[in-house]
Amino acid sequence: MSYEDWFRQDRLPHIYCAGCGNGTIINCTLAAVDSMGWTKEETVFVSGIGCSSRAPGYILTDSLHTTHGRALAFATGVKMANPDLHVVVFTGDGDLAAIGGNHFIHACRRNIDLTVVCMNNQIYGMTGGQGSPTTPKGCLSSTTPYGCAEIPFDLCQLATAAGANYVARWTSYHVKELEKAVKVGLETPGFSFIEALVQCPTAFGRRNKFRLVADHVEYLKVHSLLRAKRDRMLENGEHIPEDMFVVGELTRRNRPAMGVKP
Amino acid sequence: MKLAIDETRCKGCNLCTKVCPYKIFREGKRPNRRGIVVPELDRPERCTNCRLRNLYGRQLCGVCQLTCPDQAIHWTEEEPYEPHKVAIEY
Repeated sequence: MSYEDWFRQDRLPHIYCAGCGNGTIINCTLAAVDSMGWTKEETVFVSGIGCSSRAPGYILTDSLHTTHGRALAFATGVKMANPDLHVVVFTGDGDLAAIGGNHFIHACRRNIDLTVVCMNNQIYGMTGGQGSPTTPKGCLSSTTPYGCAEIPFDLCQLATAAGANYVARWTSYHVKELEKAVKVGLETPGFSFIEALVQCPTAFGRRNKFRLVADHVEYLKVHSLLRAKRDRMLENGEHIPEDMFVVGELTRRNRPAMGVKP
Repeated sequence: MKLAIDETRCKGCNLCTKVCPYKIFREGKRPNRRGIVVPELDRPERCTNCRLRNLYGRQLCGVCQLTCPDQAIHWTEEEPYEPHKVAIEY
């Protein structure tokens, strides 16, 4: 059995734009879920509103498509009502960081046994390219036409500070690593948060000089800095460039978790 | 195993041409009926998964399938090889 069996073949092809990275993240997540050996009856996918949150509609399990930003609140309810279920949350940066920020930090604090896959395309893609809390400084969007002047959110540091058990960040270029990270997240009891940076050719790339999809993927590849290398650079006192972001497993610890069956 | 691109799903983003270590996918030349330029396969029998999947009994490489955002790349089982008797007439 391969992960292709988890797709609703009657709903494909999906409505994502050509070159959108969300499909890649769904592939990686489903490959990880499939390698866990779970059945479709005991797995639930929950999502909020946005491009990324259309993902559970293409998956052949029970799913919840909830209100904007409240995916984690609904997922908490599902997990508390039936701890036997394996709950995976698909969410985007606008869903998780902007309107659902409070739900996010409290889900991290409670350390509920969920796996959250955040597809961070650094913009509000579905509504027309407005700037989101994770739009990098200087990037253009329809609400920041002279370049974003604000410092973006670092969602991984937020999750670590709020108390998540497992935090990792990868991009849509690192498919195998992302699959392994999601698998570790599914195995970890407690809150596991995997941030996946994806390309958005329609809303983000068009305004930010990534006219081709491959250019944006190349940017993600070149500007990702492995955590081990970051630590080594810090040890040697080297300067870390401003536009690099750290990828890899950032946090792994064993705080007491909620919703785990004894 | 045989590599195949599902033309009804492909949206022509050409990400597969970037990730294959053997450069099996090449940018297509002409649009199909839906106006999408689907990549073409350059000697797909070189693919690792095509050659060794049945020998190892597990998925090998498979980066193109994981990367494809439209789930358009898949492998199909081939008919086992059957030697044919060739009668040579002089």
